[in-house]
Amino acid sequence: MFSQNFPMAAATIVAEDQDKLLEEALTVVKAQSLQMKRCLDKNKLMDALKHCSTMLSELRTAMMSPKTYYELYMTVSDELRYLEMYLIDEFEKGKRVSDLYELVQYAGNIIPRLYLLITVGAVYIKAKEAPKKDILKDLVEMCRGVQHPLRGLFLRNYLLSITKNVLPDTSEENPQRDGSFRESIDFVLLNFAEMNKLWVRMQHQGHSRDREKRERERQELRILVGTNLVRLSQLEGVDAACYDETVLPGILEQVVSCKDAIAQEYLMECIIQVFPDEYHLRTLPKFLAACAELHKAVNVKNIIISLLDRLAAFATRDGSVPEELKLFEIFSGQVATVIEARPDMPTEDMLALQVSLAKLALNCYKDKLEYMDKVLRNTADIFTRMKTTNIDADSPAAAKELTKLLKLPLDAYPDVLTVLRLENFTPLIAFFGYESRKHLSTHIVRAAIDKKTKFAAPESVTALLDMVAPLIVDQEDQPAEKDDPEDFAEEQSLVGRLVSLFHSEQPDQHYQILSTARKHFGNGGETRIRYTLPPLIFSALRLAVLYSSLREQDELWEKKCQKIFQFCHQTITALAKADFSELAMRLFLQAALAADKTGVENIAYEFVTQAIQIFEEDISESKAQISAVSLLIGTLEATSCFGDDNFDRLSTKCALHASKLLKKPDQCRAISTLSHLFWSGSNAEGEERRDGKRVLECLQRALKIADTCMDASMNVHLFVELLNRYVYYYERGNEMVTLKYITGLIELITTNIASMDRNDEYNQINANFQNIITHIKLKQKSADGPNYAGITV
Amino acid sequence: MTFPSIFLFIQSFFGFGQTAQIDIVLDDKSTRPQIEVKDEEGHKNQLYLFLDGETVKGQVHINLKTPGKKLEHNGIKVEFLGQIEMFYDRGNHHEFTSLVRELAPPGEMTRSQTFQFEFQNVEKSHESYNGINVRLRYLLRVTIVRRLADITKELDLWVHQYSILPKINNSIKMEVGIEDCLHIEFEYSKSKYYLKDAIVGKIYFLLVRIKIKHMELAIIKRESTGTGPNVYNESETITKYEIMDGAPVRGESIPIRLFLAGFELAPTMRDINKKFSVRYYLNLVLVDEEERRYFKQQEITLWRKKEDGETAEQYLVS
Repeated sequence: MFSQNFPMAAATIVAEDQDKLLEEALTVVKAQSLQMKRCLDKNKLMDALKHCSTMLSELRTAMMSPKTYYELYMTVSDELRYLEMYLIDEFEKGKRVSDLYELVQYAGNIIPRLYLLITVGAVYIKAKEAPKKDILKDLVEMCRGVQHPLRGLFLRNYLLSITKNVLPDTSEENPQRDGSFRESIDFVLLNFAEMNKLWVRMQHQGHSRDREKRERERQELRILVGTNLVRLSQLEGVDAACYDETVLPGILEQVVSCKDAIAQEYLMECIIQVFPDEYHLRTLPKFLAACAELHKAVNVKNIIISLLDRLAAFATRDGSVPEELKLFEIFSGQVATVIEARPDMPTEDMLALQVSLAKLALNCYKDKLEYMDKVLRNTADIFTRMKTTNIDADSPAAAKELTKLLKLPLDAYPDVLTVLRLENFTPLIAFFGYESRKHLSTHIVRAAIDKKTKFAAPESVTALLDMVAPLIVDQEDQPAEKDDPEDFAEEQSLVGRLVSLFHSEQPDQHYQILSTARKHFGNGGETRIRYTLPPLIFSALRLAVLYSSLREQDELWEKKCQKIFQFCHQTITALAKADFSELAMRLFLQAALAADKTGVENIAYEFVTQAIQIFEEDISESKAQISAVSLLIGTLEATSCFGDDNFDRLSTKCALHASKLLKKPDQCRAISTLSHLFWSGSNAEGEERRDGKRVLECLQRALKIADTCMDASMNVHLFVELLNRYVYYYERGNEMVTLKYITGLIELITTNIASMDRNDEYNQINANFQNIITHIKLKQKSADGPNYAGITV
Repeated sequence: MTFPSIFLFIQSFFGFGQTAQIDIVLDDKSTRPQIEVKDEEGHKNQLYLFLDGETVKGQVHINLKTPGKKLEHNGIKVEFLGQIEMFYDRGNHHEFTSLVRELAPPGEMTRSQTFQFEFQNVEKSHESYNGINVRLRYLLRVTIVRRLADITKELDLWVHQYSILPKINNSIKMEVGIEDCLHIEFEYSKSKYYLKDAIVGKIYFLLVRIKIKHMELAIIKRESTGTGPNVYNESETITKYEIMDGAPVRGESIPIRLFLAGFELAPTMRDINKKFSVRYYLNLVLVDEEERRYFKQQEITLWRKKEDGETAEQYLVS
């Protein structure tokens, strides 16, 4: 049994201001170091060592925080260098170091003693008096005497730093005596193990309420432990084989057995960062197997991801991974093992692992779709196992990871079609909640647009539209409140842009594609079709024109065209029913133009009448009416398939609606525009109609209406506009439009304009008027061209 | 004060009688090693160093102070003495060795004279020792025996005694502890150490439930004098040597290496002529954070080895 004495009173350590502690310690250090140097300069070694020992005694303090202690340590180790230099000088002069090695061991306190021993030991090694390996072994063993974590860590760090350049390596002259890198490995590994133990021990000291502080302090000190690994990596002898057989097993044994989360997390990361990627490739199974054995609290995910990402980057940078190395299989297997071993791992971490695995698959094995697909399947399995149905609700962080995972192949593959080939891609989307599903859908659509992926088969269109279903049709889990209209418009326009990607070089196939898309879009409800159907109609109309141009090769062209026009008709009607009257009308007119191009009069007529019907029934707002009328006129003017009967019916309708417009100026303008229908509009033979009489009628009617305008300036304005038309027709050779009209109109304008107030409006109108006058004057001077003789302007 | 001594004083002071100065000079004084020894008062003296069995040989010079006058004596002798002095019993020297050589028979000296003497292969069975309560000394004493007051001269010699390498030198190994609190196993590589040896060993922690602050190893010298109820023990700490800083955990093994050459040590002396003993102990002390001390003493034997240039290299941990 031990005998035991009790002290009179236990000493209590009062927490003191760290700065003050440091200042006091540094004062002693500086003073003693000065004395030491003086003694050394006078060759009084014994006295110098005494001062040195006193200086080193400052490192015995127990009251400093790691940061403060570090400052002190740095200063002291700087001062020790002076002693080291002196001793190196001495041995070069022939002094025996071995005596000194014994001498410094008389120091009664262990901290100063070991610092001195290490310092002298390094010189002893340089002096080559004793075998290097023995001295190193002795030093690292003697350091065991310091079991205080902080002091021990710094002491061993000093050992590590002072032996940095003397460790035996491959180039050792006398490996038999001094040792080779093998001994250096043992030395560093032992030091590493001891330092790690000290570091881990810090965790278990002191009061539990200081845990956070302690963990912070440990983080501050971790670099000291990590330096061992750096040193190992610097040994030339540590090649891939040696790393595999000796170094890594040595490190891992310590890492796994210490059972400390902070240490394990840092050291595993450290291994990854410190050693070259080639080594990691070689030792992958070992490293990953160790990962599965780590403490529960260790974020294994981060470690594996870090390695995965590094190797993926390496593989991309350095060409492909060696064939024989089944990188993906190994990682995939280990990831599965790790996940299995940790049932309480957060879902987002499991997913993050899959994300990294996917990165590896995409970076290193881009052509092996089955790898990527396997990752997706694994992910789905995780959800199934966890009975997840809505990941957004379960864990927003996990949803984020899943989004990341699914975006990876979208971004990596050159087109979206490749993604469609991943069997497990679309099923995974179902685990999302509505928001994430929609977000991902938008991303998919953008990817398709950005990559200009062509969807040339109905099946691929279906697959894509199913995948992005949240954008296409209402979802069961959709929130009741409506989206922001602007966002919605943007999103649906994006979907609309997809249509340009639905394209096949085979017209029949193309039609199939369009009908497929139509079916999907048709289910989208009234709000969506406004954006999705028009592009489809345009595409269909283009197809009809294409068939028409292929009539020589395809005898069924007419039937097909008819089918397409039916398709369009039905589609536009759907829009009309959804109260997008203006749009429907425009589309009908557009269809009419296409039908006109194919030369099928009755269909074109049908489309125009549909447009007019919509106009009559649904367009009541006057501004809409104005533009609708001019559109109608413009469309008719552009057609060339109508026989005279149909033309008459339609142009009469136009004239009727033009004169029925609400405001006089609008009537005036519409009717004057209408005049062009009779002049430049084509008849069924493709010739301009040039019906001067009808033109003049229009102009005169317009003039009459203008004349009835009460607003004087508007009145003049309309006159000027009409003058412009008169001049136009006169110059085009409409014999019905004579100079008489022009002269009269000029006089009228000149009179009226004089009475106008001089304001901006006047300026504008007058400028227009003067332009016309100038034009006429120019024409008068030129030899050829219309004859304006007889007009005085 | 008795009359004769007054008379002697007067006689010599006023030059009535002859007196003489004695010098003892060793034949090998220039080659014999010397050693610095502190006496009771702390004065340092250089003494000639002898080993057991070495011949003590030299000359005695007797110089008469007053030339021409004769010195009557009842004989001149030189003694080689080994004695143990107890400081609490000054008058009583215990002589364990006493050799005498007659230099001159009773007669008269008329001039200064030199005598040769020799103690051949003299046995010196103990080491010299200067302790707290006891001293073991060797001396040469020349005595001119006279009727009233002898003239004497002493020369202290210092004796080292080499031992031969102990045949049995087991390690000291022991498990100690306090139940459910602290269990350690310590091992010192040997039980017998020569004076320039190093104590090498290790402490292995089997169980640690107290917060240890540090651990030290002390060398303690214990001098025991007297016998029976009159034993006086004096302990002196030769050194305190910190071997561990901080609190170890179970499984830690702490190395010990303590060089002895730097300390003033003498061989262990056991029961020298039943008068005294000098023993050495290693005291392992663990101090916890409440400054409680846990310690365990182990006796070690120190012995003197014939010098043969030891170096530190031998003590590197193998």
